Amino acid sequence: MATYASSAPEQTGIWSWITTVDHKRIGTMYLFTALFFFLFGGLEAGLIRLQLAQPNQAIISAEMYNQLFTMHGTTMVFLAVMPLSAAFFNYLIPLQIGARDVAFPRLNAFSYWVYLLGAVFITFPIFFHVAPNGGWFGYAPLTTNQFSPGANIDFWVMGLQILGISSLAAAFNFITTIINMRAPGMTLMRMPMFTWMSFVVQFLLILAFPAITIALVFLLFDRFFGTSFYDIAKGADPLLWQHLFWVFGHPEVYILILPAFGLVSEILPTFSKKALFGYNVMVYSGIMIGFLGFGVWAHHMFAVGMGAVADTLFSMATMLIAIPTGVKIFNWIATLWGGQIRFVAAMKFAIGLVGLFTIGGISGVMHSSPPADLQQTDTYFVVAHFHYVLFGGSMMGIFGGIYFYFPKMFGRYMDEALGTWHFWLTFIAMNLTFFPMHFSGLLGMPRRIYTYDAGQGWEKFNLASSLGTLLLIIATAIFVINFLKSRKGGLPAPQDAWGAATLEWSIPSPPPEYNFARIPIVTSRSPLWDIKHPEMSSGAAHADADPVQVASANAVPMREETEHHTAAELGIPMPLNTVKPLLTALGIVIMFSGLMFIHLDHFALAMAVSLSGAALLIGSLYAWLFSPLE
Amino acid sequence: MPGKHLRRLPTALVVAVAALALAACGDQYPNSTFTHLTDLNTATDALWNRLLLFGTVVFVFVEVLLLVTIFKFRQRPGSPAPKQVHGNAVLEITWTAIPALILVMIAIPTVKTIFKTQAKAATGSLQVEVIGHQWWWEFRYPELGVTTANELYIPAGRTVNFALKTKDVLHSFWTPNLGGKRDLISNKTNYLWYTPNADIADQVFNGFCTEYCGSSHANMRFHVYTVSEGDFGKWVDHQKTAALGSPVAATPVMAASMPGMPGMAGMKHDAKVAAAPASNMAADSGYVFPLNKIPAHAIPSTPLPTGEREVKFDDTLLPNGNAVAGRELITSMANLGKAPCLTCHIVKGEMTMMGLTDDAASGPNLTHFGTRHTLAGGIYASDAKILARWLKNARMMKPGSIMPTLGTGELDPQSGKKLAAGLDDRQIADIVAYLMTLK
Repeated sequence: MATYASSAPEQTGIWSWITTVDHKRIGTMYLFTALFFFLFGGLEAGLIRLQLAQPNQAIISAEMYNQLFTMHGTTMVFLAVMPLSAAFFNYLIPLQIGARDVAFPRLNAFSYWVYLLGAVFITFPIFFHVAPNGGWFGYAPLTTNQFSPGANIDFWVMGLQILGISSLAAAFNFITTIINMRAPGMTLMRMPMFTWMSFVVQFLLILAFPAITIALVFLLFDRFFGTSFYDIAKGADPLLWQHLFWVFGHPEVYILILPAFGLVSEILPTFSKKALFGYNVMVYSGIMIGFLGFGVWAHHMFAVGMGAVADTLFSMATMLIAIPTGVKIFNWIATLWGGQIRFVAAMKFAIGLVGLFTIGGISGVMHSSPPADLQQTDTYFVVAHFHYVLFGGSMMGIFGGIYFYFPKMFGRYMDEALGTWHFWLTFIAMNLTFFPMHFSGLLGMPRRIYTYDAGQGWEKFNLASSLGTLLLIIATAIFVINFLKSRKGGLPAPQDAWGAATLEWSIPSPPPEYNFARIPIVTSRSPLWDIKHPEMSSGAAHADADPVQVASANAVPMREETEHHTAAELGIPMPLNTVKPLLTALGIVIMFSGLMFIHLDHFALAMAVSLSGAALLIGSLYAWLFSPLE
Repeated sequence: MPGKHLRRLPTALVVAVAALALAACGDQYPNSTFTHLTDLNTATDALWNRLLLFGTVVFVFVEVLLLVTIFKFRQRPGSPAPKQVHGNAVLEITWTAIPALILVMIAIPTVKTIFKTQAKAATGSLQVEVIGHQWWWEFRYPELGVTTANELYIPAGRTVNFALKTKDVLHSFWTPNLGGKRDLISNKTNYLWYTPNADIADQVFNGFCTEYCGSSHANMRFHVYTVSEGDFGKWVDHQKTAALGSPVAATPVMAASMPGMPGMAGMKHDAKVAAAPASNMAADSGYVFPLNKIPAHAIPSTPLPTGEREVKFDDTLLPNGNAVAGRELITSMANLGKAPCLTCHIVKGEMTMMGLTDDAASGPNLTHFGTRHTLAGGIYASDAKILARWLKNARMMKPGSIMPTLGTGELDPQSGKKLAAGLDDRQIADIVAYLMTLK
């Protein structure tokens, strides 16, 4: 198996990770960090379900519960699912498009460090019982000084601002990468579906994050500098926050789900040995979902009294989104139809997404009808809905993606038996946890309550949800064991671990630092099948015969002579490791942290901390910009 | 063998669905949204039924198709290489068009229902102002001059038009049995109306705040009593009046109960008789929703806090609480520092601090406190023992409560300090006795 392993001298040691600008290493760090926060958010959910297992319990105080549910949502959205997607963006996009790295490798490192430091900033207060407690949606005016005088909301406002910087920097980076760095012959319509969906997501990020940034800047100015954007005593309209938040918040839903759709669109064809059904339509429906996603935000606000006309318009726009989403489901099933389906763990999770996301989609249509939604909104029915979308959708897709790409990342397979246990336990547990919430919601149970009275008809649904959560924790523990064990002890994987069609499988596992010794030339959507399984890609569109391309029909660098060389030996210039992006990120976080002291009435200290943060930011940015990349 | 698992899957699903269906039929669901008790909920439920029907059809179709596909096309040894298909325009147009058609069939009744339910309420409907506070509900009947808290009386058969406002953060007004919710938005008035069916008099419905509003969001509940027109009229007539404990009505009460025997039962009886000449309307104790008609699910059963949050009180003092002394405690300027009740609460007929108005009062109007069945945002049953602990340390009884800690030596969980000078248990028992006379 040694022939498959990369023999490029491995950079080792913690310093090599701290200073790395290699998109694969950064992707790996995203993966580990985001998995850690996924577990952390899961434990928060475990405590929430412990408290709600029975009526009238007092295991957790109201104040702690409110911090837990706020942080569960914030953690899962911003610290777990988004960065898990980012792990795949980082690791896969350059490999899928035949590039040696992202367009701005150092900016990429910067994005990661900002994410990590921002995540720590927003998470550590829970250990001191001062975690954010205004809900992940942070509705004004509850989040203003008048009603939330403590530091809790300060951590939230600044934490999200910091995390937003990370997402925006990464999004610009990936857009530039995808537009400029595709291998010759890889037209947009030959890009792998994961890269396509990621491409759409980056646009959603750069268009959606400014809205929440504005909302947060207003709130930050209200809280620290006495403005009155949300000050109801001065006549503010608190719906300003809701509109700004949901203009971000609804596209955010697609930011969370489209990468999983992309992963599933890679997994399903591979394990049914069939090309993705209706590639063009899959691309267009992804773009359509992203586009329509900006026109439906107010369906989160049907209860605020916008009036019949606005309700109608947002309702109709929301229903429209069901169409491209339905198309995706049917195209996936059509991909499976007529295939030879291999039920490896990755495939089970991918099929799980198709089955479970459908349920979330159907309850989504139920919400799109405002009169019905008024009975459902802010009840457990909504909690059921979006967990089918985010757990049954995003997380199933991400788990599938991890099983699928683990051999590429670590050169070894994850254990299939444990993977099967993980899948079935997760599948049963997630239905046991979230399906009963449909009932408790429609039978009158509001959301975000730390306790409920006995005799309300909700006991058994809540008990089922809590038992399901326990089972989910067990299932996830199996996954963690499998993940950690397989990194060193799994079966060795060849470079083309599963017989897939795309470029990332044409290079060693794990890939050498330069990815491709020779940049491949692409003539179709399934370059690897062209070479290894021409019968599987013969019917697909190919580029016209062109002397260069024909000569390079096997230009995809599968040959072994390219595998045992370092970048230097091959004459490939690689970006230099640098710690400056980390220092720049640290400068930003310190600058924000300084503001915390204003609320503690230490103005001088606040200025000192903020200004030293700013100095570090400017200094390291200056050093960064004037140091050579390679 | 994955195939084995897959074969078990449908069975497991059937069992699971059957179990849930059975579970859903076996019990009482007092807060179900699937009722036809108002015109609003009847309209909503018709829409819901259509959504559920189409949803179920789509669900069954997609899941069965998926299961059949993965079963039929599972890899078998020796099966031929799959035929490569890259798309099919007819199929793809079909599965774009059919969902679109289904959505049209949902959209049409949706739009009709939106405009029907959000039309202006019919003229002549009963006007009720719902005002959200952290964490209790104020209900005002502006045309009738009645203000109450946490318990809403509405006549069955008449349209009620709720004007929804909030004093502080956002809240949302929801009675699942009676209709969909509507948010209370700062600096804005929202409206919601519905007509309870004429045949649902004498019923109680649970209500909840459904917009997260801070620490005690879970403890912001209310109850809706639907009563007959006649009972409603009687209730209004009585609620309009000053309380029996007020100076006009209460002077004889004080005399009657002065020495020795200020027990509550005797108090009530004396009050009725003695107050009669002072006010004709007060003479009739009015209509109060009868306790024996309240089902168990509408009687709050929140347990008293235990452990660190326990509030200890000497319950033996309660039967001997002196209402006159209690009244003295909450109305006398001399006690302002100890029991400043009337800086936040109104008891119509009692002198308030600085001429407190309904708009300025930050606590519930207590004028007819004794006619209410619940306490503290509908989370406790109205009971002397609970009320005593509430007065002693409300902040332990309800997290975040704005009602201050009043008992001497009690720990205020919000400041983390013990109250040095407050009320002792005997004084609290006196105030309890007084409040219970506010019929």
